[in-house]
Amino acid sequence: MNNSVQICTNCVMDTSDAVITFDEKGVCDHCNDFYKNVLPNWHTDDRGRTTLNQIVEKIKKLGKGKDFDCILGMSGGVDSSFLLHMAVKDFGLRPLVFHVDGGWNSELAVNNIEVMIDKLKLDLFTEVIDWEDMRDFQLAFFKAGVPHLDIPQDHAFIATLYNFANKHNIKYILNGGNISTECVRNPLEWMYYGTDMAQLNDIRNRYCTRPLKNYPFSPILKHKLYLRYIKGIQVVKPLNYIPYMKKDAIKLLTEQYGWKEYPQKHFESRFTKFYEGYWLPEKFGYDTRKVQYSSLILTNQMTREEALEKLKLPAYDPATIEDDFKYIATKLEISVDELRSYFKAPNKSYKDYKSQQRMFNTGAKALKLFGIEKAIKR
Amino acid sequence: MIAIINYGSGNIQAIGNIYTRLNIPYIVVSEPEQLNEATKIILPGVGAFDQAINELEKSGLRQSLNEHVLQRKKNILGICVGMQLLAHSSEEGIAKGLGWIDGTVKKFEHSSFTQATHLPHMGWNNVEPKKPNELFEEVDLNFGYYFLHSYYFSCNQQEDILSVTHYGKQFVSAVSSNNIYGVQFHPEKSHQAGIQLLKNFANL
Amino acid sequence: MLRPRIIPCLLVHNKGLVKTVNFSQPKYVGDPINAVKIFNEKEVDELVVLDIDATVNNIEPDYIMIQNLAVECRMPLCYGGGVKTAEQAKRIIKLGVEKVAISSAAVENPNIIPAIAEQIGSQSVVVVMDIKKNLKTGKYEIWTHNAKKNTCKDPVEFAKQLEQLGVGEITVNSIDQDGVMKGYDHNLITKIREVISVPITVLGGAGKFHDIELLIKKFGIIGAAAGSLFVFKGIYKAVLINYPSRQDKINIFNKAEYSI
Repeated sequence: MNNSVQICTNCVMDTSDAVITFDEKGVCDHCNDFYKNVLPNWHTDDRGRTTLNQIVEKIKKLGKGKDFDCILGMSGGVDSSFLLHMAVKDFGLRPLVFHVDGGWNSELAVNNIEVMIDKLKLDLFTEVIDWEDMRDFQLAFFKAGVPHLDIPQDHAFIATLYNFANKHNIKYILNGGNISTECVRNPLEWMYYGTDMAQLNDIRNRYCTRPLKNYPFSPILKHKLYLRYIKGIQVVKPLNYIPYMKKDAIKLLTEQYGWKEYPQKHFESRFTKFYEGYWLPEKFGYDTRKVQYSSLILTNQMTREEALEKLKLPAYDPATIEDDFKYIATKLEISVDELRSYFKAPNKSYKDYKSQQRMFNTGAKALKLFGIEKAIKR
Repeated sequence: MIAIINYGSGNIQAIGNIYTRLNIPYIVVSEPEQLNEATKIILPGVGAFDQAINELEKSGLRQSLNEHVLQRKKNILGICVGMQLLAHSSEEGIAKGLGWIDGTVKKFEHSSFTQATHLPHMGWNNVEPKKPNELFEEVDLNFGYYFLHSYYFSCNQQEDILSVTHYGKQFVSAVSSNNIYGVQFHPEKSHQAGIQLLKNFANL
Repeated sequence: MLRPRIIPCLLVHNKGLVKTVNFSQPKYVGDPINAVKIFNEKEVDELVVLDIDATVNNIEPDYIMIQNLAVECRMPLCYGGGVKTAEQAKRIIKLGVEKVAISSAAVENPNIIPAIAEQIGSQSVVVVMDIKKNLKTGKYEIWTHNAKKNTCKDPVEFAKQLEQLGVGEITVNSIDQDGVMKGYDHNLITKIREVISVPITVLGGAGKFHDIELLIKKFGIIGAAAGSLFVFKGIYKAVLINYPSRQDKINIFNKAEYSI
């Protein structure tokens, strides 16, 4: 560990976030932004409920007579699973439940999706991404040397979800994103936007070997502007209007559905498990647990001491890492040596490739000005 | 170091895959001299008794195994036909078995079954341990093991019986005597129950 | 007591998994390696993987794919597709595969069976019969090459012949019921079961656990294989790998009045 690392005195974010700033008390900008901009506007009491009820009524009204009144993307993770439970059992909505199979599902994820669907008596839709194209695109990101290896999975999810909502004329997307466990966001340096087509295309042009005819590309212009503001598809995050405590959610899901817990957030995908557990921290020094734990600290679900204690251990399981490494290489159809060579290659960032970042910054600022998106999206 | 005998029979790769994932080192042995490196030995096997014994003899491994197992007392685990080879002989053939465990190998009697289709005994079945042992430690016995055989080991000594299984009637599904173990089923093809057993063998 | 086997069957086409209906309209279902890994984690009884391109395209089995799949299996794996010689069979077995399935090769040259059995043992030799009912005569016939070539052979007679030649297991695959999910063809199974005593596995038609219950109730010890049932979920045929849990299996055996 680098001795010149400075850790926030309030949460556990540190200088591995290259643009972090600290105030005179050693408290970081993530915390201060939360306290200043997010917390005052975050209501999970009656106020939140009232707002939520209004939204639910709108959804129901617009969905009357249709097969589904909203759409929900399920990964098998705790947020989307709990959201599904609330949507059906509490809000009385009729969601089209949707899963994107990017080729990396863990058995846990598949099991959790199944138990929810079965118990709630819902019908599932899936989109299976062409694996050969996904594999080539994924490998391209490894070759590019950038940290944001999750973009091929992420982009496919976003693109497919919006396409689906559009196709079925559904106006509301229920999103499990939430302040409670995600108020601290991953630094941009660690995880770049999955919708920056300039970046995606640059990496694709340089490193892909296939034409990617079957991969669902969707530029931000299309999904954020056209689909949202012109076709009127909206994203709603219901978990922000109610008290959402991770431990309680897991307990409920386990008891009521036979849902099984994951060792760490986002581990429903074998790829994300490897990527966040090993590749990001070991190659780049970016440990996403710091982001997740910091969120939980800010929302009083974890103490800073607990977090620091957990961070002493590696994010990956030393007993299985060699096997996981082999599996990733096998799936990518490269040798273990080749994968290791990418691991050892110089670290790049999104700045080494073309980007629409300036456009994003303008857009994000504009949205903030209109009070649409709180918190610095950086 | 675990030595898996390669005498042209048995799913060596599957056993190896399990030990690789458990981070337990192993070597595949096809020549007698290689056994010197072994601390424990696995004798896999599928197919016919005579053919298996003949292969063992041809390679010189039979003699070498006698030395390492009977004299040097190294632990050995026979799997399927590998277990049957531990007997004196088999109804399936005419060759002489290793004779390390007092018994003979017999074919399942037709009279035990009501169905016409009953051989081989193929699929998942349960084992019931008959004496305290380390091989089945922490194994969820309800899960069962995968069997694929038409002949079974008939023990002359009760104390050699490690476990029994019911198929038509009760038969011996595992044997043990001192450092020698044999299982009729395929631990390398029995999910967690098998992985645990192979792990226990490695840790004896 | 010995339990009937419940066996997912996966089809590989252009390196990807597909599901068919009556052996046509292949629908893409995803990456084979991850699917096999999930089935392994679900602790399935056995797994069958059939490459439906190899024979029609007259190419070698994809040994690298087979090896990658075998690495993920802690249960018996049966591979079929493009196997024509004993050498190929032996090579496949060495990769960690339990059984080798042959189809058109057995029909074209039945003597391949004892040849392969000699190399890998008869317990590892499976012959898959793809069977379709002749609408004019009402008789069952064996087809090959993904239901493109009618051999006009009678599966009952052929099954008897296979047993004589030393086959280890026979898989009865109904083209008519494939992907339709309306139940197994009991009539066909009965005809074949009556004349042979080697183990049988049946494939084609399973749409719900109840179909497996009915199969076991009628035939006792048998291999119940299915493709669609374990890969699709719900009326929209969402792709979600599933398999009966331990409790599900106990329920299936109970309802089938099969005591274990």
